[in-house]
Amino acid sequence: MQTDKEKPILSTHNLNVWYGDHQILNSLSFEVQPRQVTALMGPANCGKSTLVRCFNRLNDFTSNFRFSGKILFKGSNMYAETTDVTAIRKKIGMVFRKPELFRCSIYENVAYGARIAGINQSSHLDSIVQKSLQRSGLWNEVESILDEDPKQLSIGQQQLLCTARALAVDPEILIFDEPCGELDPIATVKIENLIRDLANDCALIFVTNKRRQAARVSNVAGFLYYGELIEFGTTEKIFTNPQDTRTEQYVTGSLS
Amino acid sequence: MNSSMIPSELRKKIALQGGAVIIGGTVFVFFWNDLRKTAAAHIQTSSTSRISGILPSLISDLNLILPISLLAVLFGIACAFYLEEWCPATSWIRGFIGSQVNFLTEIPSLLYGLLAIMVLFSDPGVFKEIGAFPLAQNANGSGLEVALFQRNTLVFYAETLIFILMAMPIAIKTTQEALRSVATPIRESAYVLGATQWQVLTKQVVPLAFPKMLAGGCRSMSRVLAAAALLIGIHIPNHATGPRGIPDRFVLFLGGALLLSTVSSFLTIESGTQK
Repeated sequence: MQTDKEKPILSTHNLNVWYGDHQILNSLSFEVQPRQVTALMGPANCGKSTLVRCFNRLNDFTSNFRFSGKILFKGSNMYAETTDVTAIRKKIGMVFRKPELFRCSIYENVAYGARIAGINQSSHLDSIVQKSLQRSGLWNEVESILDEDPKQLSIGQQQLLCTARALAVDPEILIFDEPCGELDPIATVKIENLIRDLANDCALIFVTNKRRQAARVSNVAGFLYYGELIEFGTTEKIFTNPQDTRTEQYVTGSLS
Repeated sequence: MNSSMIPSELRKKIALQGGAVIIGGTVFVFFWNDLRKTAAAHIQTSSTSRISGILPSLISDLNLILPISLLAVLFGIACAFYLEEWCPATSWIRGFIGSQVNFLTEIPSLLYGLLAIMVLFSDPGVFKEIGAFPLAQNANGSGLEVALFQRNTLVFYAETLIFILMAMPIAIKTTQEALRSVATPIRESAYVLGATQWQVLTKQVVPLAFPKMLAGGCRSMSRVLAAAALLIGIHIPNHATGPRGIPDRFVLFLGGALLLSTVSSFLTIESGTQK
C-alpha cells in the first residue's frame, strides 16, 4: 500500500492517563497515518473518548487529569511547554457525539472558525463556507437558508453542519467521537459515507462502540478494552484474523 | 422546567401582566398621592429633614445607590469570572470564597440592616470608636441642597459598606451559576475550532449567560432595597414622610425593589425559554 511509506501524522508512545488516582489508559502506543480512517472501538466507558480528547488537549480542562508518555503530532511533542495549544486545536478538529451548534445562523456557525482565525473578508468567508458545506454534502440542502437558525435542521443535518464547521478551519486530523450515537440509520449512513470521502484529504480518527460500523468505515482499527489497546492493525486483519482472544470475542459479539 | 405544562409564550405573558399589575399598583397606591401633594409644596415638619416628597429622596439616594451598586455588582461579576474561569479548581481560594459567599447569601437581609443600625449608625459607632473617618457635617445649606448633601461622611461609608456586603455575595453567586449554566459541550465546540479562552468567553459564554447575570444583578439590588425599605419603615422618626405618614424612602425603596425583582424574573424567564 502506498500509505505504508508515509510518516505517521500522529503517534502515541506509552501513554498513561489518570483521573485522580483512577487510571483510565494504560501504556498505549500506536500510530495514525494520513489519508486513512483509524477506528478506535471498544465497549462503553473503556477510555476511547479520553484517548481522543488527549489529541487536541481538551483534557487540559479536567482538573484532576494527569498523564505520562508522549504524543507526537507530525514529529513534535504535543504536550511540550512551547506548544501553542490553539494552533494544535486548529490542526486537529473534532466532531462530538451530540451536535452542539452555536446560537447564530448556519452561515455564522460554519464561518466561526475562520472568523476567530482573523479572516474577515466576506468574499473569502463566503468561499470557505461554501466549500466546507459542499465537502460535508450539506450545501444543496442549506444553500437557501444560510441566514436562518440551524435548530430547524434535523439532527443528522446538524451533525453534518458540525462536520462542515470543523472542516472550515482545514484540519489535518479530524476526530469523530461517536458521531452517530444520536442519529437515525439514514443519517448514520450519510455520516459514514462522508467519513470515507474525507479520508482522501486528511487523517480521520473514528471512535465508535459499534463493531460493524468500524468494519464498514475504517482502514485501520484498534480495539480498546478498559484502558488497554488489545490489538491494533488493519481492519481486515482485526476482523478476519484477530491475534488476541478478547478481540476475537469482541468482533464476534460475545464480549461487550 | 418545572412548569412545562404551560407553554412558554403564555408563561411570559402571565409574568409580564403580573409584573405590570404589581408595579402599577405600587405606583398608584404610594406615589400618586404623594407626588401630587409634593407638587403643591406640601412641607411636613420632621426631626431631621426640611423638605419632603419623593423627589429629594430619589435624587439623594440615586446619588448614593447608583455608583455603589454598579461598583458592588460589577466587582461581584468580575470576582465570579475569576473564580469560574481562571482560578484553578483545586485552589483553596475557590473553596474559601465559595463558602464565604454561601454564608453571606444565606443570612436574612434584615440582619444586615440591623447590623448597620446597631453597630455602624449607633452613637458610639464602630467607625467613631476607631476614628477611621472624619465626621464632617455639611448640613449648613438650605432647601434641596440640604436634602442632597446632608448625609455625613460616616453615614456614607456605613451605607456603602453594608450595601457592598449585601449586594456582592449575591452578585458573585448568581454570576457563577450563570457561567456554569453554559454547557461544557458549547465551550468545547469552540475550543476545538482553535478559539482561545478569551474568544470562548466573549463570543460564547457571556452572550449566553448575560440574561442570567443581569437577573442576578437585579436580584441583589432588589434585596438590598427591600431590606432598606423595611428598616426605614421601622425607623420612621428620622426620615421625611409623605402626607400620609409613610416615609418617602420606604416608598421609594420598596418600589425600586419590586421593579428590580420583576425585571429579574423577566430575565430569568427569558433565559429559560431561549433553548
